[in-house]
Amino acid sequence: MAILEIRHVSKFFGGLAANSGVSFEVAEGMVMGLIGPNGAGKTTLFNCITGYYPPSTGEVIFAGRRMNGLQPDRVCKLGMVRTWQKVRPLTNLSVLDNVIVGALCRTNSVKRARDIAAEQLRLVRLDHKNALAAGALPIGERKKLEVARVLATRPKLLLLDEVMGGLNPAESEEIIRLILDIRHAGITQMVIEHDMKAIMRLSDRIVVLNSGAKLAEGPPEEIVRDPRVIEAYLGPGE
Amino acid sequence: MEIFLQSLISGILIGGVYALIGIGLTIIFGVMRVINFAHGELLMLGMYATYYLFSLFHVDPFLSIFITMPLMFLFGAFLQKIVINRTLASPPQNQILLTIGLGLIMSNSVMLAFTSDYKILSTKYSSSSVRIMGISISLPLVISFAITAVITVALYWFLLKTDTGQAIRATAQDREAARLMGINVSRMSIIAFGLGSALAATAGALISPTYYIFPQVGSAFTLKAFVITVLGGMGSVVGATLGGVLIGVAESVGGVYFGSGWKEVVVFVLFLLVLLFKPSGLLGKSTT
Amino acid sequence: MTNRAFRPAAPLIALVVGILLMLPLFVESTYALHMMILIFISVITGSSWNILGGYTGQYSVGHAAYFGVGAYTTMMLLQFRQVPPWYGVWAGAAAALVIALIIGSICFRLRGPYFVLASIAVAEIVRVSALNLKNITNGAEGILVTEIPPWTVGGATITDWQSKVPFYYVGLVFALVVILVSRLVRSSKLGYYFQAIREDQDAAHSLGINLTLYKNAALSISAIFTSLAGSLYAVYVGFIDPSTVLGLDLSVQILMIGIIGGVGTILGPVVGALVLVPLSEALRSNVIAQGLINSGLVREDSAVGAFLKENLAHAHVLIYGILVVIVILFMPDGVLGFVRRIAVKKAKA
Repeated sequence: MAILEIRHVSKFFGGLAANSGVSFEVAEGMVMGLIGPNGAGKTTLFNCITGYYPPSTGEVIFAGRRMNGLQPDRVCKLGMVRTWQKVRPLTNLSVLDNVIVGALCRTNSVKRARDIAAEQLRLVRLDHKNALAAGALPIGERKKLEVARVLATRPKLLLLDEVMGGLNPAESEEIIRLILDIRHAGITQMVIEHDMKAIMRLSDRIVVLNSGAKLAEGPPEEIVRDPRVIEAYLGPGE
Repeated sequence: MEIFLQSLISGILIGGVYALIGIGLTIIFGVMRVINFAHGELLMLGMYATYYLFSLFHVDPFLSIFITMPLMFLFGAFLQKIVINRTLASPPQNQILLTIGLGLIMSNSVMLAFTSDYKILSTKYSSSSVRIMGISISLPLVISFAITAVITVALYWFLLKTDTGQAIRATAQDREAARLMGINVSRMSIIAFGLGSALAATAGALISPTYYIFPQVGSAFTLKAFVITVLGGMGSVVGATLGGVLIGVAESVGGVYFGSGWKEVVVFVLFLLVLLFKPSGLLGKSTT
Repeated sequence: MTNRAFRPAAPLIALVVGILLMLPLFVESTYALHMMILIFISVITGSSWNILGGYTGQYSVGHAAYFGVGAYTTMMLLQFRQVPPWYGVWAGAAAALVIALIIGSICFRLRGPYFVLASIAVAEIVRVSALNLKNITNGAEGILVTEIPPWTVGGATITDWQSKVPFYYVGLVFALVVILVSRLVRSSKLGYYFQAIREDQDAAHSLGINLTLYKNAALSISAIFTSLAGSLYAVYVGFIDPSTVLGLDLSVQILMIGIIGGVGTILGPVVGALVLVPLSEALRSNVIAQGLINSGLVREDSAVGAFLKENLAHAHVLIYGILVVIVILFMPDGVLGFVRRIAVKKAKA
């Protein structure tokens, strides 16, 4: 069952086509990798999907429901949530409070939200820093915080935008483990990543974007051998 | 019809002066991203300087611009370097509050020094008028407009043709990129604030023969300056020029048709409409 | 901020409240009571502003609109329709709520400095309207209270409205309520959502927060309490006009109470009120000039002395301005933040 259907989605900014005619489906429970060179339109697609702005043409269908034009808060309540390429901690709030904000999406009780938040922080192994201001965390922990925060909203589909960007190998490994745990919990994920090895390990399927259009789609083994993909990343010639 | 034409023309003429105020504010915002709530007070200082140059030394207000402009440029540069610069990295509300505080200091110091009495600068030609195409227009207003036009042209030439002017435009467009290209951006901020202050003070000098001069006169102009810059697009000099004329006309014509008490409301309503429907202004680029 | 707040212990709070409740019994000076009433009004306006500005990050420089709407509604009902002010304040609050929702629908589409400008513009529209609609508001002449009917509340009937005592207690109750509401809001879902909006609006939006709803909620709470302060001020002082209760000066003053103490804290506006009100009163009444002369620091017959005596009373706004600049440059977290940082430094030493 496809939890997310992207049908001929295009996004134009003035004359520039940041996305053109992108179509694919994400099955429930899978990890879908989304890759492509810089400027390929990956984050733009995430923005269209989550309501940051509407697509210019095409449709976004989530759990059978047309999402075009819905506001991000509505999208979150319906079960789809994203992390940000440039991390966005609620800087002056504590780590715990950050995640409580996420948890409050599903409950009106601060007490209940606190319990949910504490649990999420325990799962990402950040709970020893619950009382610290989010602004005091180093980049790796900020990324983990953001993951904990979105998980607290109890999503059905999680969109991760370069969540391993700027991390060292040990930190990346932790995130990979997290993504696999999330998959194990039954939450569907779409992951934008530049780290090829990580994408290969994590993804059930990969969609490749280039210059706003879909270049290729398939299981990791096929994608990594696809000459068009290689050319897109490395340039024509050898 | 004649009343309409008269108010239209007065509106355009005063709009030229408003444009100067707006251009000053938009340059400051463009380069420093600071909303200068003390802009009207800089104008007020220009008015007082002009008044005292006239009453103590008999310098004609229009000629005294040669003195007030450079003086106020230096004052503005000083303010930026010593005070405002420290908050450029702070959240915008700090900058807003700082300029509000500076404005309060300026207007109240003047009040303490010179009292709140309304001062009037009367020259021989203050109430003279001139007939253009059969319509009677105030002479000082015509002279102001002419001077404004000259200053605006000079400003455009400066921004387009000189190295410093182009550096300022580069900084306004993209501060980081300008810095990477070797432009001394903090020097640009100093120049920008100095320039903005000089223009505001000059506008003050130009209207001093026809306006009451008192310490609080600035605040109405600050608000007007904001409306002008938002209308024209924050950071756009051409936009501020057009915006100034538009506001001058809206105020003048609006005052005739709705009554002078409601003129400010006309301007504010226009302001809100622009903020709501085209916040990047008629000509501006969106920077929010 | 939630963890680093300065929280006085409950017994201390109870003690302070107890003292405040009994103050009029053993303090006779009407001047002291007058100061307390002004402080209460400032605590109310500052704390209300704080809910929108400090918690939610929407820096309104147009809060005089709500103060003035409360003041005018109460006064117009009292003077023109003989409606006692203890009913009038609620009409004022309702009017302020309506104005707030209208203003919110316009201004909340804008961010940062544009929001600030819009808040100023709408407050000015309200002020100029009050000035021009002479048939409704008396315009620049203002409204003067001629008589307040007796009020039976609790077991007592209040007939003497010349006394400051009833206003003191109303002020105290309102101030305590608004502080309580601030605390309740902060630890509730509302408070979390408000602060999330302040910290990062787009992130908050993507986490399920309906920005329009919550910003308007913050504004509504803020406007209602500000209007209560306005109504109290109006009936206490007995006279209002557009420039005193709807002016930009007042909006800036409210903003400063919120900021000088320390933005986004519960005690911040209290500290702000405690600093600004006595300072401004002291300047206005020449106490400082007299004090400097009496203490021998300045000679009465010297040029400085004469100048001070003449002018310091008018200089309170100048001092305001200097204070704002000093606080922004050297104490950006407000007085409370400054004190806290010194305390932390001393603890480490």
